[in-house]
Amino acid sequence: MRALITGMGGELGTRVANLLEADDTWDQVVGIDGYPPRRRTTRASFHRIDPRDRRKAVHLVRDLDPEVVFHLGVYEPNARFEPTEARLGSAASAVSVLGAATACPSLRAIVVRSGIEVYGRRRGAPTRPDESAAVDPTTPFGRSMVHVEQVAGEAGRVAGVPVASLRFGPIVGPSFPSPLGRYLRLPVVAVAPHAELPFCLTHQEDAARALVAAGAAQVDGPLNVVGPGAVTASQAVRRGGRVPLPVAGPGWWLARAAAELLGAPLPPHTRELLIRGGVADGAAARALLDVEPRSTDDVITQLYEWGTVARVTPAGRGASA
Amino acid sequence: MTLDAVRRGVPGAVAATALRRRAQGAHHLDEWGLDPELVALTDSVFSLRWGIEVTGAEHLPTVGGAVLVCNRRVGISEPWVLARGVRQATGRFVRTVGVPDVAPVGPLLRRFGGVLDRTDEIAGLLRAGQLVGLPMARGLRTREQVGRLDAARLEAAVATGCPVVPVALVGREAGRSWRVAIGAPASPSVDGGPLAAAELADTTRHAVQALLDDALPPSWWP
Repeated sequence: MRALITGMGGELGTRVANLLEADDTWDQVVGIDGYPPRRRTTRASFHRIDPRDRRKAVHLVRDLDPEVVFHLGVYEPNARFEPTEARLGSAASAVSVLGAATACPSLRAIVVRSGIEVYGRRRGAPTRPDESAAVDPTTPFGRSMVHVEQVAGEAGRVAGVPVASLRFGPIVGPSFPSPLGRYLRLPVVAVAPHAELPFCLTHQEDAARALVAAGAAQVDGPLNVVGPGAVTASQAVRRGGRVPLPVAGPGWWLARAAAELLGAPLPPHTRELLIRGGVADGAAARALLDVEPRSTDDVITQLYEWGTVARVTPAGRGASA
Repeated sequence: MTLDAVRRGVPGAVAATALRRRAQGAHHLDEWGLDPELVALTDSVFSLRWGIEVTGAEHLPTVGGAVLVCNRRVGISEPWVLARGVRQATGRFVRTVGVPDVAPVGPLLRRFGGVLDRTDEIAGLLRAGQLVGLPMARGLRTREQVGRLDAARLEAAVATGCPVVPVALVGREAGRSWRVAIGAPASPSVDGGPLAAAELADTTRHAVQALLDDALPPSWWP
């Protein structure tokens, strides 16, 4: 099968490419992104195309005629791009690639990266929504993902193919660029212990495996992909050996400014997660995709194992390559 | 305090270990915010406030979800009495419906098992195999009559096919002594349909009233 991966330059896109390369049923793997892949690829070919360059993206998609499109070009604000660039890039990538894919005669399925931020955390919203819950985003990132889901749904209807929207819990991992991961790794972390609710996390590897499984199974509809269990921000900070700093009200303004100065900006969806929590019912995905995401406790533990990552010395770098 | 101190039964060792775990963030919290360790830590304090006698605990399922419909008068003590009574009789936690989604009250009550009053919230809890405490409308005028039970509040039980257990709570807000009388569960109709929840609500309301009639001490003063 031929696979097209948008957002292949990201950690998740590169890992999905690696997993597809290792599976012989995928005979051609092609990726596009504005930045090169973060890991070595063996069979996959990469095309450096800016997400907003519609003409180039449309040409590539039509020439390739993919059977499955893995649309991972959904950019989290303050992960690799600043918020406006992330929002515009997500919207442009969805419209150009998914729009072009509808004209591909071989297209069989579309798999989209989304997130549980689409449910929003408005006051009175369900604590642990399943896929039947209404979509009601309360942050720019949530709205951006809803837009991508809508574009993908429209593309799927036009092409008559299933569209799987995988709604991940916040994806973090030792090497995953995420504003949440950066913020929680600060030496002193502002938290709201009097108001906080628990949140769940998804490990980067589980997210990649779920995307590949959804592409192979050609699932239709949204699926929550979250690990079992949950933690509060204060708990996570203490587990990481960091110092929790209780703040309330205007204190958050100072905390946000300080975090930005320290290189860990706090976008609205991350702040909402830290205070209002964010969990979802992932039973349907576990049953349909046969993927068991690791627990939030394990993801938190691995997040703070950053310090134990092996440093490759210049002498050893040549040997490992 | 070490695990060895806990094994040797050193006074306060269990609480000290739990507090140390909390300081390290190593305690467990479920997805709705329940903190079992905090409940255990504060249990001795709550035992000073409420002395609870439980009858009919054998009617509660040992595993799987169920809705526990209970009466309430003022409604301050009842959720705590129901949760503590069921926990001391069966070891299971009760998730009481009706927590406001406002900080700091909401997050605090969630640590003790409170959940939002939403059909999808209750359905999610039932699918996860939890016991859900569902208080009926307040009956402020007399403690001998149970309040209303809106059929819409049992839609989650009908949708998931979980049993509905009637529970009568007898006690006074100003007093310490409370009784929890648990009745035989009613199962929702397998056919579902628009009438299923309404009929289940009628059956449950009458069952709670019957339990209350039996449990209330005979009195000449209403």
